[in-house]
Amino acid sequence: MFEIRSLKSKVILQIVLLILTIPYAIPLVQMFLGSLGGKGFLNYKAVWDTGVVPIYFRNSLIISAGVILLVYIFSMTAGFGFAKLHIFGKEVFFWLILVALTLPEVILLSPLFVTFQQMHLFNTFFAVILPVAALQLPFTILLARNFNSGIPNELMEAASIDGANVFSMFWYVILPLTKPIASSIIVLTLINSWNTYLLPLLFLQSPDKQTVTLLPQYFQGEFTNDQTKILAAAVLIAIPEIIVYLLMQKNFEKGMSAGALK
Amino acid sequence: MKKKNITLKATKINGLPWILPAFIFVVGIIYYSIFYTFNLSTLDWNGLDPVQTRVGMSNFTKALSDWVFWKAIRNTIVFFIITFVIQNFLGFILAAILHTKVKLATVHKCLIFIPTILAPATMAPVFRLLFSPQGMLQDIFDTLHLGITVDWLSKPNSALFILMIVAVWEFTGMSFILYYAAMSQIDKEMLEASRLDGAGNFRTLWNMVLPNCKGTTVSLAMLGIIGALKTFDIPYLITTGGPNHATEFLGTYIYRQGIRQSHLGYAAAISVMLLVLAISGAILINKMNKGDEK
Repeated sequence: MFEIRSLKSKVILQIVLLILTIPYAIPLVQMFLGSLGGKGFLNYKAVWDTGVVPIYFRNSLIISAGVILLVYIFSMTAGFGFAKLHIFGKEVFFWLILVALTLPEVILLSPLFVTFQQMHLFNTFFAVILPVAALQLPFTILLARNFNSGIPNELMEAASIDGANVFSMFWYVILPLTKPIASSIIVLTLINSWNTYLLPLLFLQSPDKQTVTLLPQYFQGEFTNDQTKILAAAVLIAIPEIIVYLLMQKNFEKGMSAGALK
Repeated sequence: MKKKNITLKATKINGLPWILPAFIFVVGIIYYSIFYTFNLSTLDWNGLDPVQTRVGMSNFTKALSDWVFWKAIRNTIVFFIITFVIQNFLGFILAAILHTKVKLATVHKCLIFIPTILAPATMAPVFRLLFSPQGMLQDIFDTLHLGITVDWLSKPNSALFILMIVAVWEFTGMSFILYYAAMSQIDKEMLEASRLDGAGNFRTLWNMVLPNCKGTTVSLAMLGIIGALKTFDIPYLITTGGPNHATEFLGTYIYRQGIRQSHLGYAAAISVMLLVLAISGAILINKMNKGDEK
């Protein structure tokens, strides 16, 4: 966007960029240095030896997988239905879903708190998977519908001339063509479900059910506020996320920007 | 003629079975909760007691005369305005710089974006340390003999500001990536023309690039308003809304009232008001956007 001619302005621009991005590195540096305070790398060993880290990761994986599965199936089918099929009162259904787009999750707290207690869903993964998926869906259905609308009807007609019924149309025409938006939906849902904090905090009380976002708090109890170990735990949580991001950089950036465009 | 019939046939398939499962799922959980919240908001109830006392609108009138409620609203507004301006300014400038040929562009891009994917819950202990007298900033200030004590999180006046810094750190990646995508769509010849007219880099950026990214700015404003209203993790984990409610937000106050102190009815009344604010915020921005397009 900038037009840079002289070497001098090139150097200045590079320095400005550096000054602007250094603050973004400071917390990461603090996290790493802080985790090495006191006993150094032994902090990591102490955290790992509690044996709970893999359990918390497993729980987060189960919850994210569950949310992604629900969101993927419902967004793909509903996106196809809303974009391509005949539905009486279609826009009313769609509008009712869209209203939920702006809903802050904290509003669900009291109702779900009471209801899950009555249904004995407390301390089960369902108590987190169901509301997280429901909060994610309005947006992903919107994305899937918009994408499906861009697929030409002729492709479906051609399939129907070949004798395809609506299900094989969906399976052989729509699903392969919607792969780009599906990957955005999956990445977006992965980030949101992996990072969800409030619902696990409320509904998952026992340590063998809790997610990685609750791990720092668990260690606060375990190591009675020994900051160095809590930070070592934070590093252990962050590393896999950063690695997955670096491996799938393009997908993440596409998914996140899909997450904001209407 | 024949083709037309097939078109009709293909689009006349009843789509209801395709949308119904998703519809029932979303509406089932979300609308159930909303109606339940409306109902709860007229009760005085702790969630366990078999006796639920119906109190009409008194939870709402109580909120309107509750200074903490107004503090939370004020904090939300201040938080939105300041983080929106700083975060989008940084995101915009960084996107413009990284659209120019610079060295190590990918490294810088990753640095800006990594905070966006890390959960606030993971980073909260880091920020608590960083902005404490035991943290790195204090060490730096001490080395430079600046005589500054890093105790900002325990001071009511500065605590909210620190939370805004955390939020900007966390979400600049979002603004950056959206502006970056929007800038790739801008016609290069248009920028050339502007430069031939003698406009410098900053004039071009301000007069040509920014107006062309207007759709992005509106999206980010919408996300920002909803995000500010949703704010929970950052204040809850870093300051728990304190000191003395100085960093209270609607989310943390609803949690404090409903879950911690079992005032379910009161928490529900605040939730209803939060819902109204969230929906009107979204409608307002949408209106402004459409009004401008005409």
